[in-house]
Amino acid sequence: MAAVATCGTGAGSTGSMVAAGGKNNVTSFQRRGPRASGSDSSYSRLVSIAGTRPSVRNGQLLVSTGLPALDQLLGGGLAVGTVLLIEEDKYNIYSSLLFKYFLAEGIINGHTLLVASAKEDPADILQELPAPLLDDNVKKDFDEDACNHKTAESNIKMKIAWRYQLLPKMEAGPVSSSRFGHYYDASKKMPQELIEASKWHGFFSPEKSSSTLNIEPCSLTHGYIKLLQFIQNIIYEEGFDGSNPQKKQKNILRIGIQNLGSPLWGDDICCTENGNSHSLTKFLYVLRGLLRTSLSACMITMPTHLIQNKAIISRVTNLSDTVVGLESFIGSERETNPLYKDYHGLIHIRQIPRLNNLIYDVSDVKDLAFKLKKKLFTIEGWRGRSFPNLKI
Amino acid sequence: VTPSEGARGGTGRQLEMESVLALRGLVLLRDSVEWEGRSLLKALIKKAALGGEQVHILGCEVSEEEFRAGFDSSINSRLVYYDLFRDPLNWAQTGEALPGGPLGALQAMCKRTDPGPVTVALDSLSWLLLRLPCAALCQALCAMSRQHACRGGGPAAEQLCVLGLLHRELHGPGPTGALSSLAQTEVTLGGTAGQASAHILCRRPRQRPTLKTLWFSVLPDLSLDLQGGPPLESQPHPDPHTPQVDPASHLTFNLHLSKREREAKDSLTLPFQFSSEKQQALLRPGPSPATSRIFYEPDAFDDLDPEDPDGDLDV
Repeated sequence: MAAVATCGTGAGSTGSMVAAGGKNNVTSFQRRGPRASGSDSSYSRLVSIAGTRPSVRNGQLLVSTGLPALDQLLGGGLAVGTVLLIEEDKYNIYSSLLFKYFLAEGIINGHTLLVASAKEDPADILQELPAPLLDDNVKKDFDEDACNHKTAESNIKMKIAWRYQLLPKMEAGPVSSSRFGHYYDASKKMPQELIEASKWHGFFSPEKSSSTLNIEPCSLTHGYIKLLQFIQNIIYEEGFDGSNPQKKQKNILRIGIQNLGSPLWGDDICCTENGNSHSLTKFLYVLRGLLRTSLSACMITMPTHLIQNKAIISRVTNLSDTVVGLESFIGSERETNPLYKDYHGLIHIRQIPRLNNLIYDVSDVKDLAFKLKKKLFTIEGWRGRSFPNLKI
Repeated sequence: VTPSEGARGGTGRQLEMESVLALRGLVLLRDSVEWEGRSLLKALIKKAALGGEQVHILGCEVSEEEFRAGFDSSINSRLVYYDLFRDPLNWAQTGEALPGGPLGALQAMCKRTDPGPVTVALDSLSWLLLRLPCAALCQALCAMSRQHACRGGGPAAEQLCVLGLLHRELHGPGPTGALSSLAQTEVTLGGTAGQASAHILCRRPRQRPTLKTLWFSVLPDLSLDLQGGPPLESQPHPDPHTPQVDPASHLTFNLHLSKREREAKDSLTLPFQFSSEKQQALLRPGPSPATSRIFYEPDAFDDLDPEDPDGDLDV
């Protein structure tokens, strides 16, 4: 009877399996793998885009900003679909360097680039990108740098605070540098063949916008309208938003906009206090809508030290997702201050987004300073002289 | 003709002036009411004309005769002058005025330059800034160098020099900040005790900006004469010689220890001093969390009785 029962159940079970297959998977257990159904395969395919990784906190897809130290400060990287705003330093030296790191990271990972500028031709910007550092070179540079650091501070064995020796010296070293976050040599240029092999679109504002007509207030300036149309075209035609039936694109679009808000875009917020104060904020609002619905990430550098109306700066900060401010010591009285002598400037993390999350992913170290050594750009927590320098 | 003993110093300063005044790109000459800049502008124009460059001048603030006064005839014949002073709004309709107002004049100027080194002098940029929207002016200035590069061979950075005279009391921080961010060189005129000085800030791309100070005077024949410094040395330098900030001063504790104090500090016994064995064991991220050890170090007041280790026998 049992045998009959098993036979019966065996037959019945195959029958029920067939029936289940016919009824399209009544059960909720689905196997993850190449034979899985549609919803799973998209998840596994998203993760496999080059140069991205899911955040450890909430699974948000992240791309690297080009500086692994900055990635760590921002909670792992820049989330896809968001805007990173860099407030430029006074002479625009370090912010343009960060901009180039962002673009270089895109080229190394094979992402598509969109470079927009009103001052320089995008082709010229791409010629100036820094060269990537290979793994063994990076290790060598970091080791010799660590040695310099140690000899300078003469290995003090601490008597009272000896438990600090237990703290791991978290180096920003090449832990797993090949997949996410690369190091660049600021003194060398990126090889020409890498640039030519990459896919990029350039938007040079003086060429695209022709006239300087009088525009009514509270509307977008001409340059911004053209730029938004350009971005929208690229996103649609290359299929980054998935709406184009012909193109199935599974790549990231990296958008870099340089000097947004400067008078060269036709915007006068840097010139007067009572100018067209809504143009830039409208632009950011529309841009965020474009980004959220596509596989893209954007970095904008903005000369906020020139903006005359301070209310605009706070509005711009609210409309961006991540905001990082750079303050360089050149020309200021801090240049001669011995407290700051090791560094070239300060980094202020002004805002970090809460995406699909209730809490921020903020690093513990609040005072951050940066230094541009001859090859590398490093960010360190600055605590004056009395505490050990925790390298981030 | 310079005297022989001053010749060496003179040529040294000449070379320094040549290197500092190798001006390219947008150069802002910021003058003020006390220290006027038009004479320096004319001196730089003369230097450029003698150097064989084409010179185009947009005159807005003074009449053409007044501007040309001081140049000798050979230089005057080389200057290409666009006059916006006599009839800026083109009421006379003579047909020789440039179309499009001041902005059109700027754009027409750069169309008429031949390839090769060119110096364009704007007298003055303040006049243009008061009549044109600042953003449009900035765009036109950037477009000038770009169009010049398109036409002639060679990068624009070496070919075109735009000298703009800016009266800094006329404008607020907005326009001056915007123009400064575009300029490659900013020359701020000032001076003390009758001696004019020029603070020159050079912003080369991707390099740190450099600041130099030159003391000069413009001779009646519009040549530049560099002096070593102001006649009286008594004025305080307002410049980057701020006193070194010592972070260890004005504290409630002493960070500078003398040798004796340091020895006394090192020989102090700390209240919670562990034996080195315990310290090492704590520092080692132990591979044996299962076993826990008890560390006991008797201090000076402990009276250990080997027969009665707990000290609770009433003996």
